[in-house]
Amino acid sequence: MTFLTNIHRLLRVLLRQPQSAIGTALVFFFFILALFGGQLAPYPKANDQSHDARVSPTLDIGSLQLGAHPFGTDRLGRDVYSRVILGASSIFRIAGLGTVISVVLGSALGMAMGYRGGGLDELLGRVIDALLAIPALLLALVMVGIIRNLDFQINSWQAALAGEVTLLVIAILYIPVVARVARSAALDIKTREFVAAAEIRGEGSAYILFREILPSAIPALVVEASLRFSYAIFLVASLGFLGFGAPPPSPDWGLMVNENRGGFYRLTPWALEFPALAIALLVIGVNLMSDGIRRAVQKGGA
Amino acid sequence: MTQLLDVRGLGISYRVGRRWLRALREFNLQLDAGQVVGIVGESGSGKSTAALALMHYLSANGRIDGGDLRFLGEDMLAMGAADLRRLWARHIKLVPQNAGAALNPSIKVGRQVAEALKAAEGIEGAKADQQVIASFRAVNLVDPAQVAERYPHELSGGMQQRVAIAMALMCQPDLLILDEPTTGLDVTTEAVILDLLRALIGGRGAGVLYITHNLGVVAQLCQRVVVLYAGEIMEEAPVAQLFASPRHPYTLGLLSSLPKAGQRKAHSRLQTIPGNPPDLRHVGQGCVYAERCPLVIEMCRAQKPPLEEVEPGRLARCFRWQAVDAFSGESAPRPHSRSLEMDAPAGESSTRPDGGVLTATALSKHFPVPRDLVDMLRGRKPQPIRAVDGVDLRLRQGQTLGLVGESGSGKTTLARIIIGLETRTGGGLELFGADIQGGLRARQQDLLSQVQMVFQNPQNSLNPYRSVRQTLCRPLVKLRGLSAKSAEDQALQLLEAVNLRADYADRYPDELSGGEKQRVAIARAFASQPSLVICDEPVSALDVSVQSAVLNLLADLQEEHGSACLFISHNLSVVGYLADVIAVMYLGQIVEIASADALFRAPSHPYTEALLAAIPTPDPGQRSERILLADDLPSAQNLPGGCRFHTRCPRNIGEICGRDAPPWRETSAGQGIRCHIPLDELAEATPPRQDGEGSQCLR
Repeated sequence: MTFLTNIHRLLRVLLRQPQSAIGTALVFFFFILALFGGQLAPYPKANDQSHDARVSPTLDIGSLQLGAHPFGTDRLGRDVYSRVILGASSIFRIAGLGTVISVVLGSALGMAMGYRGGGLDELLGRVIDALLAIPALLLALVMVGIIRNLDFQINSWQAALAGEVTLLVIAILYIPVVARVARSAALDIKTREFVAAAEIRGEGSAYILFREILPSAIPALVVEASLRFSYAIFLVASLGFLGFGAPPPSPDWGLMVNENRGGFYRLTPWALEFPALAIALLVIGVNLMSDGIRRAVQKGGA
Repeated sequence: MTQLLDVRGLGISYRVGRRWLRALREFNLQLDAGQVVGIVGESGSGKSTAALALMHYLSANGRIDGGDLRFLGEDMLAMGAADLRRLWARHIKLVPQNAGAALNPSIKVGRQVAEALKAAEGIEGAKADQQVIASFRAVNLVDPAQVAERYPHELSGGMQQRVAIAMALMCQPDLLILDEPTTGLDVTTEAVILDLLRALIGGRGAGVLYITHNLGVVAQLCQRVVVLYAGEIMEEAPVAQLFASPRHPYTLGLLSSLPKAGQRKAHSRLQTIPGNPPDLRHVGQGCVYAERCPLVIEMCRAQKPPLEEVEPGRLARCFRWQAVDAFSGESAPRPHSRSLEMDAPAGESSTRPDGGVLTATALSKHFPVPRDLVDMLRGRKPQPIRAVDGVDLRLRQGQTLGLVGESGSGKTTLARIIIGLETRTGGGLELFGADIQGGLRARQQDLLSQVQMVFQNPQNSLNPYRSVRQTLCRPLVKLRGLSAKSAEDQALQLLEAVNLRADYADRYPDELSGGEKQRVAIARAFASQPSLVICDEPVSALDVSVQSAVLNLLADLQEEHGSACLFISHNLSVVGYLADVIAVMYLGQIVEIASADALFRAPSHPYTEALLAAIPTPDPGQRSERILLADDLPSAQNLPGGCRFHTRCPRNIGEICGRDAPPWRETSAGQGIRCHIPLDELAEATPPRQDGEGSQCLR
């Protein structure tokens, strides 16, 4: 039961059911775009306004035909097809990395709380409850607002960190959520007798936590991670749309929807519709996949 | 007599993944009104499948492969859902294994039972309430009107089971199917329920199917027995004949693998059935039992033996049924039998003070109960739960101490204090002559390696993500300080010692059967060469056919290492076989300590007596006179004053029992009893019992 055979088994279960197979296919499709977007986009510099893909928006109705601009061009004449493809990478990077950070830190925190118990668990548990009571988007906006308004020296590490503000916000926002799941998993697993067997062998806390408890908690954590990932994508898109995400010229899907709504929508509807479609497809895909993962894990598969 | 059920060639399959698992094959059964038929089998034998199939109730992934199922001459397989529902409401009733889970937790039990009445006979309102209360009275529920107003979780397990029985019996069903109705209960409660069932079943004219894994229960209750193995009937016979002279090697194996009355590990090994039940996904063409059968011949593997009449009224599925009688193999003597001096188990008379492995004096564990809001407002402090309360124990080198008692008596807590998983709240604990303070973290590595434990549930005691090799190597490296290389070699030797092939080293727990897992767990416990091994119900989760092999293994390893053993079990026959000394625990106290031989003889503490009497004997000729214990175990938070047992004691001698704590008296032979009744009087009043008699149970 190595890690690889587990992945293999999980994939097999995922591909068996049509819904989760579609979800998995969608996620993989966007993942490929994220990895190789630079090579796949016909205008790899389509975020650059000075690029020669620029066509007068009034002239580009014809460009909706398959050919030069299959998704059309926006009001600045940028190729929407290329911009959608290029946008995949940032959303995967921010949502993915944010999820990974929150899952790693949240699991460690939650499992330690669950295993040790006592006053610290009680205290942290209350803090987590308090954090979870605040709506995620609101908390995200507040955090972005604070971080944006801090004065950093240019080129300092703090400034670099502030550049990744969305990623940071996702990580901070989801650490307590993951910690709760990890805590309850640890609470359950620590009552099993193999943990007692390790204790009477004199194993230390770290060994018991990571070598004995963690492997059995991984299925629950994988399910939670996939769920967090789908929420993170949503959050990245939302923040982008509200203008709290990546700054303007970048091909952020949420930002693209925002830039092309209102009066522009009547002129270049495709510049809004295609990034919106991409967001929807990716969120649906991740959700279907995480449903499949949950089913597979509950069956005692992975 | 009217024939209720007529089943011929019934087959049931379950869909598991993409495969169909043939859980029941060629099942035949004829049941007349007024008859009680037992269906016995181990887990996976298809007995519960049979129970549900006979009602024509199938889970969503089940299907009927074929056959004929008639109830009162009507073809049940051809019935539609509505007809079946009418049949179930009125004529066929099932008492489920776990009544606690079968009752709806959010409806008062009285109303639930009334609903069944409404479905069956359309009776409602006050008349229904009356009948419900009458039915509760019939199953000996104390204060039935009040019980009817309670929710299931407010009732004890035994009471829940009574409610389920009342519900099933109320409509006077023609056929009653009981699916392991006493399995989750303590022996004492089981005895009460069995008695109740016997009284209720008799004279009703209903046909009863009793499904169980416990041969003792079958012998006590049934007239005819069907033995199931791997989804097929192996043998069917009247109960007396089945127990006297089995005609199938499997039945013989089951019967002879139980520890016999008075059998001790020092004299003989338990008989075992080698191997494991077959995987139902790969049922071959031969006899399903061929792989484990001592009488197997070429033909058994090539073709399936038919279920044929071997004697009038007896069926067996075996080519060699004639040879079974002659085969009844003798228990092998233990290879290097030892003689343990059986002198004073407790007290100061130990001849070798240096040989003391474990000494507990007035050992206590009180779990504090957190104050709730009401307590705070009233300024009162809740009573702690006194799980272990003043226990004195001594265990010498190489000795085996058996610890018995109902669940909730504090056995496991005591074990957890000794191993260090709990810290005591009072009294003293010495291990190997050294005083023990604090929990596990305070123990030196040397001490850790000296005391090891085998847990109850093999399912949980191995880390599912570790191979057997990893599981066995870790204690070798950690506790014995071996290098990774020599630990690997040692691990293979350990595997050999527990009779597992070397290729098991690379398997993971989910690739092992229950018995194999427990072997690995035993190997892990013995890896550090401990001087004291604590076994907490090590075989209670195992099937009979693998249980005896594990017990033999434990006895062998213990002798080889010269380890002392604290063996916890609710099964007196198992304890009687393994232990040198037996301690009986009740509500955190030890009420009797005696050598294994003496315990089964008078005098006994009244509680011991009740425990011994409660065990169903697998001998239909001997339907034991039961000493029934009223009520359930009192709460350890709110202990009865005086003698803790006085609320349930069948030999309560009056006021003194409820007022004064009874004295601890010892006989000259070192037997100790905590009772107000003088020892000689206890001895007189105890019905004479032979050594270990009446102490057998399948699990």
